[in-house]
Amino acid sequence: MNRKSIVELNQICKIYQQGKLQVTAVDCLSLQIAQGEFSALYGPSGSGKTTVLNMIGALDEPSSGDVIIEGKTLAGMDRTALSRLRRDRIGFVFQAYNLVPVLTAYENAEFVLALQGVPIRERRQRVMSILEEVGLADLADRRPDELSGGQQQRVAIARAIAPEPAIILADEPTANVDSATANGLLDLMENLNSNKGVTFLFSTHDQRVMDRARRLIELKDGKIASDGVSP
Amino acid sequence: MTFTDLATISWRSLLRNKRRTFLTAISVAFGVFLSVTFTASGDYSYTNMIDSSATMGLGHITIESPNFNDTPSLALSISQTDKIQDLTSAIPGIEASFSRILGQAIFASGSKTVGGQFMAIDPTKEKTQYNFFLKYIEQGHLFSEDESRGIVVGAKLAEKLKLRLRKKVVYTLTDKKGEIVSAVARVSGIFRSGEDSIDGSMVLLPIKRIREILNYKEQEASLVALFIKDQRQATDIALQTSQILQDDSIKVLTYKETQREIAGLVAMDRASNYFLQFLVGLLIAAGILNTILMNVMERTKEFGMMMAVGMSPGKIVSIVLIESFWIGLLGLILGALITLPFYLYMSEVGLDLSRYIGTDYNAAGVLIDPVLKFILFKESACAIVTGIFALTMAAGLYPAFRASRITPVDSLKSI
Repeated sequence: MNRKSIVELNQICKIYQQGKLQVTAVDCLSLQIAQGEFSALYGPSGSGKTTVLNMIGALDEPSSGDVIIEGKTLAGMDRTALSRLRRDRIGFVFQAYNLVPVLTAYENAEFVLALQGVPIRERRQRVMSILEEVGLADLADRRPDELSGGQQQRVAIARAIAPEPAIILADEPTANVDSATANGLLDLMENLNSNKGVTFLFSTHDQRVMDRARRLIELKDGKIASDGVSP
Repeated sequence: MTFTDLATISWRSLLRNKRRTFLTAISVAFGVFLSVTFTASGDYSYTNMIDSSATMGLGHITIESPNFNDTPSLALSISQTDKIQDLTSAIPGIEASFSRILGQAIFASGSKTVGGQFMAIDPTKEKTQYNFFLKYIEQGHLFSEDESRGIVVGAKLAEKLKLRLRKKVVYTLTDKKGEIVSAVARVSGIFRSGEDSIDGSMVLLPIKRIREILNYKEQEASLVALFIKDQRQATDIALQTSQILQDDSIKVLTYKETQREIAGLVAMDRASNYFLQFLVGLLIAAGILNTILMNVMERTKEFGMMMAVGMSPGKIVSIVLIESFWIGLLGLILGALITLPFYLYMSEVGLDLSRYIGTDYNAAGVLIDPVLKFILFKESACAIVTGIFALTMAAGLYPAFRASRITPVDSLKSI
């Protein structure tokens, strides 16, 4: 059965101007990510992983080509529409967690739901259940500086999955944590993918992430060097 | 995201750097202190000057013949002053009214002749609080109803004419028909205000006697002087008075028209006061702008992340502006705490400046109270609060704009 396409990249290029030099970060790349995938972009530094992720996340726009999210082309959308798209359909997990330091774990997890205007009672139910799922229900009242790196990343995952987005983009989510914590985080994301059908796209160097990913897309010089199911 | 959520984020963000926030709020509090000091001392001295000027003859509002203000003359008078006083007594805000005749005369004693001014008053009705000269009688007393030949003269004029109590003085003036008339009076009192130009030229005479001399009718006078509770209401009450009287043969004027010098002085001083406060406000706003801008610059990545996960630029602007609001509010509360004891002391006791300015300091011929006190009118307090918030919010505008222009992709470097 064909799964619904979440992300579609059609011949996207990203060219940066550095002084008089033009640097091609992404070179006419086409790619599709379907619902329920657990995929990873990998490749050496400068291969274009982050740029691709930024363009899928509507944080950056391609110099040419189309980025299509759930059938909608991003080109021509204004700032507000892009902001709404990110809020409602895309979840982000950052390498440096990027939680709001003045909010508690609970408040960080409910941040996007609050932006969406979800009623407070529904928010509470959803966030508490997600915090339970990521193993942080007991630490809901703690602020980020009172949590370990792994716990902070769990809060970031809770924040990303709370609004039930179409896809979660995770940039090096295990880069700042120890091995045991990294495995715990990957278990958590794998479970969310298998049990709830949450689509994940990673950008990574981490072999542990590549070992878990079911599709590996290798980037080299802004192009797809290989794309296949993980052995 | 509700306003409460945004306000919570803003408040907690300010608490991240408590010392910086506190110092900025203190600078706002200092601004409140200065603003209250400038405004309250201004409100007090302007009221004091206007009220004092009103007691010198014309009141806060004057009802007179249409041309009297431009060309004062004993030939210009109004009639039925009792009726006017009755009608105006019902107007809210009016405390007292007096019929008076004002004019110029030549005063002569056995030794000398001196030109001066007189104010003819009804001794049975006049009260010290509404008559500047009565306050300063240092010898004798105000003539009574029976003393139709009584006169109260200024101390300097008495010196020039070598007058003492119970001495005779002849005054000569021009009556309503243009005839020169003279009368004899006996000194019943001498006043000394401390202002030479007043003490050397002014006398008080009984209105009944002056009416006889000038061929005025029983209720005829130069003017009716109205005294009101609050000088700020002069224009409104003058308008109501005109509407009630509806008489083309009279004109109702406020102190702004009859005592232009004092009104001009007050307006000029008030404008320079506001300008000074504006400059102080600008300095304080620069401090707030610096704090908020630093807060924003330090949180570029945080704002970038918020926008990455879907917060709109408008909400980012709100967060920063609410931070400005909190600083304003905190500064206002601190300012009230700092200012209140000083304000209470100054409004009750005041600061005696007589050592520096003496007791006869005057502006535009009006004696100024050497004790500086504070009064803060409601509208002035509202203006200060509004001004503080306007300045703090204005100071937050640029940082808010900067925050809203942050591009998530640049601030996060990588997602």
